[in-house]
Amino acid sequence: MSSKVNLSWIASQFEDKNDLIQKKLELDHKQITVLFIKSLIDQELYQKYIINPFFELPTQEQFNLYLFALPQFQEVPSKEKALYFVMEGNVLIEIQDNLYSLDFKLSKNSDVNSTSVETTIHGSELALSDNLMTNINVIRSSYHQPSLMIEYFEKGEVNKPKMALIYDDKKVKRKALESIREKLEKIDMQVITEAPQFNTLLNDQRYSLFPKMLLTERPDRIVYNLAGGKVILLVDGSPQSMIAPVVFFDFMTTMEDNYHTLAISYYLKLLRYIGIFVCILLPGIYIGAVSFSPEVFRTELMLTIAGSRMGVPFTSFVEVLFMLFFMELLLEASIRLPKAISATAATVGGLILGTAVTEAALASNIMVIIVSAVAISTFVIPVNEMAFAIRIVRLILIVIASIFGLAGLTLGFLCFIMYLVNLTSFGEPYLRFYNYRKGNQDSEGQA
Amino acid sequence: MLIKKRMKVKLFILITIPFLVVLTGCGEFKDIDKMVFVSMIGIDETDDPEKPYKIILKLYVPTSSFRQNPTPEYTYLSKNGKTLAETISILESHLDKELDFGHSKLIVVGEKILQNDNYKEILDFLIRRPDIQMISYFAVGRPNAEEIIKFLPAGETALQPTIFNYFDNNGAESSYIISTFLFDFRRRLKEEGIDPILPIVEMNEPKTHFIINKSIVLADNRPPYELDTDKTLLFKTLSMNAKTIFFAVKREREYFVSRIDSIKSKYNVNVENNKASIKIEMKLAGVITESKNTLSSKELSRYSKMLDEEMKEKVSEFIHEMKREGYDPFGFGLKYYAHTLPKNRMTHEEWLEAYKNADVEVVVKSNLKSTGSIQ
Repeated sequence: MSSKVNLSWIASQFEDKNDLIQKKLELDHKQITVLFIKSLIDQELYQKYIINPFFELPTQEQFNLYLFALPQFQEVPSKEKALYFVMEGNVLIEIQDNLYSLDFKLSKNSDVNSTSVETTIHGSELALSDNLMTNINVIRSSYHQPSLMIEYFEKGEVNKPKMALIYDDKKVKRKALESIREKLEKIDMQVITEAPQFNTLLNDQRYSLFPKMLLTERPDRIVYNLAGGKVILLVDGSPQSMIAPVVFFDFMTTMEDNYHTLAISYYLKLLRYIGIFVCILLPGIYIGAVSFSPEVFRTELMLTIAGSRMGVPFTSFVEVLFMLFFMELLLEASIRLPKAISATAATVGGLILGTAVTEAALASNIMVIIVSAVAISTFVIPVNEMAFAIRIVRLILIVIASIFGLAGLTLGFLCFIMYLVNLTSFGEPYLRFYNYRKGNQDSEGQA
Repeated sequence: MLIKKRMKVKLFILITIPFLVVLTGCGEFKDIDKMVFVSMIGIDETDDPEKPYKIILKLYVPTSSFRQNPTPEYTYLSKNGKTLAETISILESHLDKELDFGHSKLIVVGEKILQNDNYKEILDFLIRRPDIQMISYFAVGRPNAEEIIKFLPAGETALQPTIFNYFDNNGAESSYIISTFLFDFRRRLKEEGIDPILPIVEMNEPKTHFIINKSIVLADNRPPYELDTDKTLLFKTLSMNAKTIFFAVKREREYFVSRIDSIKSKYNVNVENNKASIKIEMKLAGVITESKNTLSSKELSRYSKMLDEEMKEKVSEFIHEMKREGYDPFGFGLKYYAHTLPKNRMTHEEWLEAYKNADVEVVVKSNLKSTGSIQ
């Protein structure tokens, strides 16, 4: 099939002829046909690298050689591929019945963002960008290993975004990589817009509570995890990347842990783990102790709690659920609202939850303290995905504590740990405490 | 089809279990404001043989804000009855809330109960009731339990009964206060070879505060034996519970008081040919804190020797007295049983006889480190 036919086939595929430009240029003995989408290509580059040389170079051979030397130059294997190239922002050139493609994609979203989800005090403030190639550039330029592998592919039948699977070929866990590839094969989705979607797409268990992949926007975390043998998934147009496989303790690490001195980073880690226990257990302990076994408190504390509950019309677990419900509403509301309004919402909510509720004797003073402690400790968990999962676990434990008391809470917590132990992330045990692989130098970044 | 059926079974289980669980109606669930907490339990004996016991319960009144209401507030329940369990169950009908003994830290019995040997029956009830803590303190009230229970010393604040501080070594660390836990009292009572000792709680005359510096030793088939303040101190010293003691020495024209802050004492019991011998070794270290005469630090060893002799005299006298009367709060008998094989052991009666006639040897090694003044 000749390239002429191919070109007309491609042109016929487009319904909207306004944006598609097909031009035939002839000068002396030189002749080319170009085909591109105007809004997708960088017209300056087009002018500089195609039009100018065409008129300046004397012969067709020289022009061909010149094109061949350009880094954007690509052969076109089939007409379907050619169509895809056009849609990606390439310029198709037909010369002497041969079809070539030149990548002159114009991207306006290639600036790196500043970190907004994983902010730190120490370390880089720059995150990934929305552009895949920029992101790969960022990663490659801070991970200098020839073994770094980048595999491109497309998923999502309708919008077909370009995606990349990145790993260090020497360090990657083969089993996990195979499992990820296998699951990527099975994806059957019409539209994929963001990398976090993989968390559900690559998960076989529909009702799984805990994230099996780590979402990050920080290049340093990506590099750290690449060195640990993990696999990174990037989607064009998404400023976030997914890391797999992960263990529970990855979610409790911030990149800052590596930037502090040992004592400080251990102290901060300790603080974080205490925080997560407080966040999971405190409401349950309150219910269990207040309504089932008041012996566990100190006498003074018990009497103060008993006193502060005087006049509260609800039983302890209704009180806890009531306050937590409003706290969660407040959290949810402040995410959705524009920044200017969310500050007001927080103030109003804080006032209502804080003072008015106790004034009106809808909840005890101690309860307000517990709810705020729980709210604060939720924010201590460094990765958001885990914080969401923990919030749900907390609710389950509250229900268990209000039915079975402190003993039930202990048992429920045990079940929670058993569940975590049972989980795997792409073949890796989820609650793996420490890395048992030999050789410490390649255990960096592995949980 | 099989899969569908399995799903149905799963769904059935998922739905029934929550229903069964929730429909139990939270039988144990009881909010903290629907309970009333007992602070102390007092048990007295009445003159009425039909209803020999009088139970007095001191109940906490919860306050919502300690700052607004710092004065102590309690309510009291009291009732005479034949048995303790029945009486308490009747007392529960006097309240709108559930009685909870989980926070009662002190059990006071009247002196009269000890005299009439009724304490074993009381102890049985206290041990059996699950929500009474075995780590409650047990004390004897003088003149009776009711007055001690109902007495509010000056300076007491809400929620913090001062009397607990006497016993728990957090507040007072006096060497005159014996603290006996309920479990320990029971252990000493049931065990052969060691006798229980209980503190006596009194009030001072204008009734402003408690005085706890005497104790009482109980033994089978004998009337309770009271130890006065000095003997209580000696007992605490010998049982190594005292942290610091002040000990006066008066001999050879010297009269000084030493502050002893390191006390080590151990004792051995040997029995040969049914003749028991008790050897007590004490090591003391401290400084002199008060003296009538001027002391020279060069003569510290002489002062130490004087302290040795004084202590030896006091201790021997105390142990001879205990032995003569047949009381054994130190556990010499237990020590003997623990160190002898069962086939060589005397019976309890034989031991008591041997204990009465035992030889006592006291060795005191004291080390006074300073005269307490700079020269």
